[in-house]
Amino acid sequence: MQFFWHIVAMICMSIPNILGFNLIFGKGKIFHFGPIGVSTVATYGVFVPLMHGFSYPSAIAIGFVLTMIISLLFAWLALRLEPDAFGVMAIAIHLSLLAVVINWISLTRGTRGLPDIPRFFFLQTTQSFALFTFIIALLWILFLFVLHRGSFGRSLDALAEQLWYAGSLGIDRRWVTVIAFLIGGLGALITNVIYCQYVFLVHPSDLNFPVFIFFVMVVVAGKPGSVPGVLCSLILLTLLREGMRFLPIPSEFIGSLRLLLFGLILFVAVWVRRDTLFPKARSV
Amino acid sequence: MSLLSVSHLSLTIQDHSILHGVSLSVDEGEIVGLIGPNGSGKTTLFNVLSGFLKPTSGSVHYRGQDITNVSPSKRAKLGIGRVFQNFGIFREMTLEENVLVALEALPKQDRKNLGNLKDVVHGTLDMVGLLSHAKKKAGSLSGGQMRLLEIARTLKSGKTFFLLDEPTAGVSPKMTEQVADLIRQLKIEGKTVVIIEHDLPFISRICDRVIVMDVGRVVLTGKPQEVKKSKELQELYFGAELV
Ligand SMILES: Nc1ncnc2c1ncn2[C@@H]1O[C@H](COP(=O)(O)OP(=O)(O)O)[C@@H](O)[C@H]1O
Ligand SMILES: [Mg+2]
Repeated sequence: MQFFWHIVAMICMSIPNILGFNLIFGKGKIFHFGPIGVSTVATYGVFVPLMHGFSYPSAIAIGFVLTMIISLLFAWLALRLEPDAFGVMAIAIHLSLLAVVINWISLTRGTRGLPDIPRFFFLQTTQSFALFTFIIALLWILFLFVLHRGSFGRSLDALAEQLWYAGSLGIDRRWVTVIAFLIGGLGALITNVIYCQYVFLVHPSDLNFPVFIFFVMVVVAGKPGSVPGVLCSLILLTLLREGMRFLPIPSEFIGSLRLLLFGLILFVAVWVRRDTLFPKARSV
Repeated sequence: MSLLSVSHLSLTIQDHSILHGVSLSVDEGEIVGLIGPNGSGKTTLFNVLSGFLKPTSGSVHYRGQDITNVSPSKRAKLGIGRVFQNFGIFREMTLEENVLVALEALPKQDRKNLGNLKDVVHGTLDMVGLLSHAKKKAGSLSGGQMRLLEIARTLKSGKTFFLLDEPTAGVSPKMTEQVADLIRQLKIEGKTVVIIEHDLPFISRICDRVIVMDVGRVVLTGKPQEVKKSKELQELYFGAELV
């Protein structure tokens, strides 16, 4: 039973971050390869101040501001650079941020991470986590569902299909892009504030490149841009990831086996969607 | 004063000079044909007028305002509409959404003045006989249907100045007449239109004036009848039979 609540909590707490990423990368078809860079800023932006004596509300406020700033930086780059250049740049930013938190030991304790993260008073058991994250996830799904179906979602679709056609209708690419990235940032903040309490720990290994691979895999396998599709694949792939521990394999192999398997799934998913994932620009 | 005036417009992309000192003007309510051989820079000129390409030199004035450095979306909000050579329709969206997304991009006040957007969407689709396809993906339409939808959408989203890039390209002969009717409708409603076309009979039937371009320059302008008879045009299109 405990495992069930654990799975529910793990799935529900990833939903804000994953669906935020799906909005940008899946629906907007913007090659945002730095969502975990945003998560890095969100995580350390909240928990470094918290560990240095700030209260939860003020630590979250500081984390929020920093997350919005890094999201704006990504949005600005997405508008300034060609799509492929932005993709590479986003990876570079993620890795640089990771290098900073690993090496700025006096502030972040580097690879030892920040231990003993206190939990909100109402989040003391796995079950309470499951319940709380379920409500948060539900509200977030509802919010994104409305967003996807409404005029914002249509503008994003239009821009994703053809920038010039969208521009000629009066759709302002700057606004739409900035809003999408800010929502993605908010999702990253929510997920990471809850996750670090759940594991009592802030650790850079939860923010490294394989996490990003997992994100891309979930979105691509689920159907980029589709909220129900991405939710389904998130559930299945989380079950797979968490369930692998029960396999009769020595635990030191689990990590590499998981990465191998995920690499394979990503390969197949990208192959299956190769025509729609990276649409060719149509000439005008 | 003319609605649109373009002066000494030049564009060079990667050392490749595409437009050389193009100057022209269009009056309100006029229907102007823009003709010229393939590769003469007609579409590129439209791209500069829509704001997608920044000219290397020269200026564009619209309703007396210098819009040379204004973004495409702001130009759209000023009433400049564009119909693309390759159909500017979002094929992954339904017909309904294709119209709706255009209406939603309007400035707030204009959107309010339209009333219920759903009704406007239906009216637009009905106008071109596509109401029964409302929920279908636009990618399933024929070329002619896409063209009608695109022009109707541009009209209903309040554009007053139309840049039509080869509106009959990819349209079946049967539907070409329907497209021509829709363009005449634009004139009746007092809109201003510039049409790029290869179909010269089509141009002479619906245009008040013709501008001829060749290798990035305006080489001739005049009434359709005069232009058709001119030696320059005969030379440009030598061998082509002019009706
Ligand atoms: N983005 C671009 N980069 C380089 N050359 C271009 C670009 N766009 C158009 N051209 C060139 O400019 C010339 C004019 O093209 P275009 O405006 O499409 O002609 P038209 O519409 O009159 O057939 C062509 O030689 C074309 O190859
Ligand atoms: Mg052309």
